[in-house]
Amino acid sequence: MPAALEAEAVTVAFGGLTAVNRVSLTVEEGAIIGLIGPNGAGKTTLFNALTGHVRASGEVKLFGQRVTRLPAYARTRLGMGRTFQVERPFEGLTVLENVLIPAFLHTADRRVAEARARAALEQVGLSDRALQPSSDLNLARRRRLELAKALALEPKVLFLDELMAGLNPPALRDMISFVRGLADSGMAIVMVEHIMQAVTELCDRVVVLAFGERIAEGTPQQVTDDPRVIEAYLGVEEDD
Amino acid sequence: MSYLRLGLVALAGLAWFLLLPDYRTLGINLLLLAGWASAWDLLGGWSGQTSLGHAAFVGLGAYTVAVTSTRWDLAPWWGALLAMALAALLALLWGKLTFRLRGSYFVLASIAVAEILRLVAINERELTGGAVGLFIFDLKEPFGLDLFGRGVEFWLALGYLVLVLAIAAFVTRGRLGYQMRAVREDEPSAEAAGINPEAVKLWAFAISGGLTALGGCLYGIVLSALQPQPLFEIHLSVRIALVAIIGGRGTLLGPLVGAALITVAAELFRNVFAEANLLIYGALIVIVVLFAPSGILGEVHRWTVRRRYARGARG
Amino acid sequence: MEGLVPLLQNVTGGLLIGGIYALIGVGLSLIFGVMRVINFAHGEFVAIGMYLAIALFADLGLDPYVSLLIALPAGLLAGWLIQRVVLARLIDSPGDSTLLATLGLSLVIANALFLLFGAEPKSIYLPYATATVNLAGIRLPVAQLIAGGITLAAIAGLWLLLNRTEIGRAVRATAQNRLGAELVGVNTRRVHALVFGLGMALAMAAGVILAPLLFAIPTVGSSYTLKAFVVTVLGGLGSVPGAIGGGLLLGVVEFLGASYLSSGYRDAYGLFAFLIVLLFRPQGLFGRETKRV
Repeated sequence: MPAALEAEAVTVAFGGLTAVNRVSLTVEEGAIIGLIGPNGAGKTTLFNALTGHVRASGEVKLFGQRVTRLPAYARTRLGMGRTFQVERPFEGLTVLENVLIPAFLHTADRRVAEARARAALEQVGLSDRALQPSSDLNLARRRRLELAKALALEPKVLFLDELMAGLNPPALRDMISFVRGLADSGMAIVMVEHIMQAVTELCDRVVVLAFGERIAEGTPQQVTDDPRVIEAYLGVEEDD
Repeated sequence: MSYLRLGLVALAGLAWFLLLPDYRTLGINLLLLAGWASAWDLLGGWSGQTSLGHAAFVGLGAYTVAVTSTRWDLAPWWGALLAMALAALLALLWGKLTFRLRGSYFVLASIAVAEILRLVAINERELTGGAVGLFIFDLKEPFGLDLFGRGVEFWLALGYLVLVLAIAAFVTRGRLGYQMRAVREDEPSAEAAGINPEAVKLWAFAISGGLTALGGCLYGIVLSALQPQPLFEIHLSVRIALVAIIGGRGTLLGPLVGAALITVAAELFRNVFAEANLLIYGALIVIVVLFAPSGILGEVHRWTVRRRYARGARG
Repeated sequence: MEGLVPLLQNVTGGLLIGGIYALIGVGLSLIFGVMRVINFAHGEFVAIGMYLAIALFADLGLDPYVSLLIALPAGLLAGWLIQRVVLARLIDSPGDSTLLATLGLSLVIANALFLLFGAEPKSIYLPYATATVNLAGIRLPVAQLIAGGITLAAIAGLWLLLNRTEIGRAVRATAQNRLGAELVGVNTRRVHALVFGLGMALAMAAGVILAPLLFAIPTVGSSYTLKAFVVTVLGGLGSVPGAIGGGLLLGVVEFLGASYLSSGYRDAYGLFAFLIVLLFRPQGLFGRETKRV
């Protein structure tokens, strides 16, 4: 059985600067992989390379199928979903319409898409706001909308870009158990995170990047104890 | 519900045009303009790509029917089908080349393309009759109807508008319509949602161009004397775009409202302003841009969306 | 040397008209470079200049080259007002707002000119200007020579303004980085108004110079707007020296194309060049970085 996501020697270079240098990682179904590292380590670039928003060399495979040359929308059609660190709602549209758009991915029937969209809104707890203009939402709800949009794709591999940032403790706890639930249902998850509480509670494995290179990999405990990691961070944050 | 009421009022107004034969030509012009603007809006409003070159499709439609009927004695409905196919092809080529251009660059390119086609129409005398133009002398009569009769043309124009609106309604309520909105709002986000932005825009352009060309075919028959200048000129492209923008981009009936408003206003002010009725377009667009950027129906729509949510939240 | 004369004639003719195109394009490029605004009414500003010169000539007998002294400050003031009253409000508005506003403005101006002056073509007949000067076998119309001279003077003046004065520094700073300029104390709103006024003044000057050379009709504006776009895209939107190069190039291309290929497609050569540059070298032939709109 091929892993949900396989990345081999992924490299991203922009005109002389190598932002990501031969990084490999593997994610099984139902597993949660954390991607951490100090600012500028190349986490978001790697993220964008894996999701197809940035061109890269090396090899990326989704369930054994090579997607390295495929653009983002093609990878989405093969089962990949992502959230953006700075949320990108479709501003002129309502919450429901926002989620309706990804819901149309695997169906051309509006009723089917709408049902799927409403289900996604239900999952994240935004059902009562379906008709609200998406530009009117506060941060926590924008975050949940971003998640709903990804979930409406019914992805098998979900990429979360700093999903936990800026959430207050109760919201953070809710989000953590929510993500745990997604993985339990079989979804493979790759998350870029700075909030160490989320990393330690959720991740089965953690990959650490610094200066575009993978400097460590292991369980959250192993990684936080690793002197190389500590050195790269100059002290690991307890909480953000 | 309010859209339905608005639609009924509009239809009543159109019926009035029919009853007064003096106004029939005006009615035909209004209906064609509304149809063109609604077709334009599929690309300009729903997909967010402002084109100021749509007259190219009008001219293409008119000349295709004229050339095929005078040269090859082809019935106008076949000529129209050919025109729509050519228009879709033009749109695909044009779009493929220029969609990579950001914002205003795309607008500029669209002007250039239409201008080039106008110059071709003026210079290729063999094909198009050059600056002197072409005349459509006689056309096959479908079911015994004289296509040059104003009454028949009025009903055809009405049918055209209804067809464009029906197609627009169908497209915008379905998957493609939502993909168009997504591409308009945020391309990377649309890509992440599995949408191929270029493909969506090309579809929108092809449908938009094809429908515009169909109206152009009818316009050619209405005019029966075709010249390159009025059919391809930038002022026509501008009129089409502004009508849709003033009425409300990205709304189903906005372009119709815009067309009705401007046609009626131009007619009312005709005595004061004679031929300078484009002044109204200019003044209106400046007012809309400053005070009602979503256009008339666009602002109404935004207001009702807020009301609907507020009512729902309270209850 | 014999065969070279017609070629040189074409090239010189192209350069002379190209100079005027450059003058028009420079204003548009300046406006875009500093304000990121695509001024659809630019050609209409040229038309205003033409009609102003014609009116002053007809009613007051003023030589157009004297009318320049009125046109320049009038353009500066009018442009300033338009920017303050209309465009300034749209500075943070989405996408095509300023484009549409200037488009609306162009319609208002063109139609106002029609109402004021009617549809008949008008021009200025200057006896001394229709004479030609013979230089090594090349015939140069005096009016075009004067136009060329004024263009040079105007561009030199602009260069001095932008590079040797405080105001010029403020303009260049705003063009590079509006926020940054504000942080060092530049009043960017005033800079925007000034720049728009300058653009309008230059366009009107071009119109005044053109009045003795061509016939004016109210719709002449839109063709000059298109020419201005071609010039600025060829040279690189936002680049003043680029606009000069672009203008000269356009003039020469038009003359050569009309003489050696087909004169009916005269305007198309520029448009083709325009599309090709837009598609393959959007930063312009003389520009450096890609300017995003």
